[in-house]
Amino acid sequence: MRVQRNWVGGLPLKPSGLFVESPVEGFKQRGFNHPLVLALDYDPRDPSTLYLAAGNGLIRAADGGRRWKILTDHQVTELRDVSVDANAPGTIYFAHVGGLHVTRDGGATFEQVHPLPRRRYTESVRVDRTRAGRLVCGGESGLYLSEDGGRSWRLAGGAGFQIMYIQQSPHDADHWLAVTQLGGLLVSTDSGRTFEHSGKVGVGRNLYDIAFDPTTPGRIALCGWGPGVVVSEDNGKTWEERNQGLPLRDVWSVAFDPDRPGRLMASVHEEALYVSEDAGRTWRRYALEESVVFRMKFLPEVAR
Amino acid sequence: MRALALLFLSAGALAAAPPFEVRVRELIDYYAHPKRDDFGYATIAARLKLGQDPAWCSRRLIELLKPPIHGDMFWMFPTTAIAYLDRGQLSEEARRALREAWRTYMPFRGDTENHWLLYYTSLYLMAQLWGGEPGERWFNGKSSEENLREAAAWIDSWMRLTTRRGQGEYDCTHYLGVFLLPMSYLAAWAEDPVMRKRAEMMLDYLIADYAVENLDGIYVGSHARTDDKMVVEKWHGIAGDFGYLLFGLGPKPEPMSGYPMYYSLASTYRPPAILERIATDRSAPYTHYERKRTRNRWRFHDELHGPVYKTTYLRREYAVGSDQGGILQPIQQHSWDVTWAVPDPRGVHNTFFTMHPYSSLYELETYFSFGPDFGVEEVVRSKRTYDSPDKLLGGSPFEKIMQDEDTVVALYAIPPLTRFPHINGFLSKDLDEFVEDPSGWIFLRGNQALIAVRPLQRYTLKPIPGGGRRLFSPYLNNGVVVQAAAASEFAGLEAFRKAILVLELDYRLEPVPSVSFRSLRGRRLEFTYGERPRVDGRPLDYENWPLFGGPFLEAAVDSEQLLIKYGSERRKLDFRRNTVE
Repeated sequence: MRVQRNWVGGLPLKPSGLFVESPVEGFKQRGFNHPLVLALDYDPRDPSTLYLAAGNGLIRAADGGRRWKILTDHQVTELRDVSVDANAPGTIYFAHVGGLHVTRDGGATFEQVHPLPRRRYTESVRVDRTRAGRLVCGGESGLYLSEDGGRSWRLAGGAGFQIMYIQQSPHDADHWLAVTQLGGLLVSTDSGRTFEHSGKVGVGRNLYDIAFDPTTPGRIALCGWGPGVVVSEDNGKTWEERNQGLPLRDVWSVAFDPDRPGRLMASVHEEALYVSEDAGRTWRRYALEESVVFRMKFLPEVAR
Repeated sequence: MRALALLFLSAGALAAAPPFEVRVRELIDYYAHPKRDDFGYATIAARLKLGQDPAWCSRRLIELLKPPIHGDMFWMFPTTAIAYLDRGQLSEEARRALREAWRTYMPFRGDTENHWLLYYTSLYLMAQLWGGEPGERWFNGKSSEENLREAAAWIDSWMRLTTRRGQGEYDCTHYLGVFLLPMSYLAAWAEDPVMRKRAEMMLDYLIADYAVENLDGIYVGSHARTDDKMVVEKWHGIAGDFGYLLFGLGPKPEPMSGYPMYYSLASTYRPPAILERIATDRSAPYTHYERKRTRNRWRFHDELHGPVYKTTYLRREYAVGSDQGGILQPIQQHSWDVTWAVPDPRGVHNTFFTMHPYSSLYELETYFSFGPDFGVEEVVRSKRTYDSPDKLLGGSPFEKIMQDEDTVVALYAIPPLTRFPHINGFLSKDLDEFVEDPSGWIFLRGNQALIAVRPLQRYTLKPIPGGGRRLFSPYLNNGVVVQAAAASEFAGLEAFRKAILVLELDYRLEPVPSVSFRSLRGRRLEFTYGERPRVDGRPLDYENWPLFGGPFLEAAVDSEQLLIKYGSERRKLDFRRNTVE
C-alpha cells in the first residue's frame, strides 16, 4: 500500500492501494487506485479474499485482491485497521475514526461495538486467534478487551496513551503487544487482560508496527519514526536498534517472512521497501521506490 | 449629505452588472469558448448546454477519460454534469467511455463535508441515470439501487444536520460554491420530487446564509475556512463570484471560477427577490447571530461537534464579525475581523484582524486521522503557511473573543513553551490613514470605516511581502480592543480619536488578560480570558444562541426551519414538511 513521495491530496495519484508481490512478477498493484489503504486481513478459510481498511470504507477484495467491493456505507469512514475473527465465520471487526464496528455476516450488516460511548476514535483492533469473540482494541486512550464479541469491554491498560497497533504472538496466544504514541511498548502475558509498560523502547517517540517472527520464537521487531527498526531476540526483554543500511529511521511497517527465517521487510518513509536477510542487522533496498507502505502482510500462496 | 455623496462615489466605481440572465449566459459562454487552450470537462459541459459542437465534445470527452483518471469527487461533478447535459448529443462511444470510467475509476470520498456532498450528489445522480445495474458495473461494487439509497440517505442526513445545528464547513469564502453546486444539480436533475424540492430549499437556505453576511459580495464575518490570499483580499473567493452571479454584487470576476458555471449549467436557480433585497440592502446597521458547528472532532472531545457562536455586525461602510475563539476548525479558520467596503475590491486588502499563529499535532489529530510524525509535514505540503510564525490564517486554542455590535475584544493567554509565543495583526497596505497615538491606541481609516485598535501589550511592525505590515507582539498574555465606526459619524479621524480616548478602558494582564471597556455604542463590555463575556453586566447567552438571529433571518437550533424576513415580506422554509411559505 503506498502513495508516492510528496503526494498531496487532490493531485494526480500514482498507483496506490494494494500491492501484491509474486515470485514471477514482483510487486503488482491489485484492484483500484486508492490513497488510503491502511491495513488488511483475511479469513484463513478463504485467504484469496482480503479485507482492506480503506479511506472509503471496509473493502472486500476478492480473487487475490483484484475484485473490490466497498461493504460499508456512509456511516463509517477512514478505516484504520481490520481484523477477521478466524473462529467466527463472517465476523470482521474494523477500527475507524468514529469507533469500532463489526459485521457478523460477512459484510451484509454492521453494528457498532465501541468500547466507550464517547471518545470513540479507534486505531487498532486484533482478534484473539484462539477464541471467537475475544478481541483487544485501542485508540485515543488505552487498550480495551472484550470477550463477548464487543458487547462489553474492560480497560486492559495503557490509559492516557494513544494506541497505534496491537499484535498477538503466533507462538504464545497469551503474549500480546501494543505500541503507542510516545508511551513505548505495552505487553500482556495474560492474553490481553492486562497490559503493562515494557522498558524504554520507543518511549518519547511513536511506534507504528509490531512483527513477531513466525519462524523464530522470541524474535520480535518493532518500528517507528526515530527508532527505525528495533529487534528483540529474547521475547522483548532487551531491544536493539537495527538500522544499518536504512536511509532514514522513519519506518512505517515491518514484517517477517514466514518462509525464510531471518528475512525481515521494512518500509521506509517515501524511500522504498527494504529487506534484511539477517533479522535487521543489515539492509538493502528492495522495491517500491518512493513509497509509503503503511502495512505489510504475508499471505498464503493461494491468495497471491 | 456626506454619506450620500460617498455612496454615489462607491456605486459609481463599478459599472452596473448586467441582468441575471446575461450574467449566466456570459459565464457559460466564457467556459464554452475559453481564452486559454484549456479545453477540459468545463468546456464540454458548457458546449453541451449550449448545444454547440457535439462531435468535438464527444472526441474530447473520450480523450479526457483515458486512464489514469484523477480528481476524485472533483472529477465526479463535472462528469455528472456532462452526463445530464448530453441530451442525445454525445456519441455512443463517448457515452460508453463515460459509463466505463464510472466502473473503472474509484474516486476517493475524502474527509470533509464538501467532499462528501460532491461525492454523494454525483453518485446519487449517476445511479439514478444508470438505474438497475448490478454492482459489477460500478467502481464500488454496489448496485445502482444500493448507491442511490446510500447517497440519498447521506444527503438527507446532511440537510437535517445543517438545518438543525448548522454546517461544519460554514461560511467559507471558497467552499460556498462547493455546497451550492450539488444543490443546483439536485434541484435540476433529481427525479424524486422530494429530493428536488429539498435541494431547492437548501439553495435558499445556503444563499440566505451568505446574503445576510455579505458586504458588496464579500463574505464577511468569521469563516470555517478561507485561505492565505482570501483572508486579506476578501473579495477574491468563489463567494465573491456567486455574489456577482446571483446578485450582481462586486466586479465581474476574471477569470470566472468553475463552480458558478456548473451551478448555472444545472438549475440556474435564481434566488427569490427577498434574498436579493437582503443581500443588497445595507441602509441600516444590523447585528446578525448564527450558530454553526465544528468540523468532526475525532479525538480529544466528548462531542463530535462543538458549537460555534457567530456575531456579525454589518453596515454600508464596514462589517465586524467574529466567533468565540478557540480551535473550531483545522488549519484555515478565520475567527474575526473588521472588513471595510471599497469601491473596487480587486487587489485590495480591506481588512484588519489579529490572531495567534498556532499549529500543532493536537489540532490535526483532533480533526484528521493523521499519524503523529507526518501530519504537520503533510499539511504544509498543500497549506504552506500552516506551520509558519508569520501566518495570518487559522484559529488558536489560546484566543478568546467577544463582540458587541462593532466592538471586539480578543484576548490571548498563550502557555509558555508554545511553538509561536506571539500574536500577529494584519495592517493593510490599503489603509487610508494610520496613526499610532501616544495613548496606546492605533487609529486606522479604511475608506469610510474608522477603526480604533488598542493592543494590550507593546508591539513592533514588520513588513509583509506583497504589502502591508504585521503587528507583532511577543507576549504570552495579550489582547486587543477594537472599536469601529463609520466616517460619517465623525468629522474626521481626529474627532474619532477624541471620542475613543474618553471611553473607559480598564485592563489587566495577570494572571490572565481581562478587559472592561465602555464601547462607543454605550455598552460596557467585560471579558476575562476563560470566562463568559458580559455586556452591561449580563453574560452572553450561549445556551439560547439562535441558529440564525437578526433582522433578516430567524431559526432556532434543531428547528429544521428558517424564516426569511425583509420589511413585511416573509418566506419560511420548513424542512420537516418540505414546504416554502
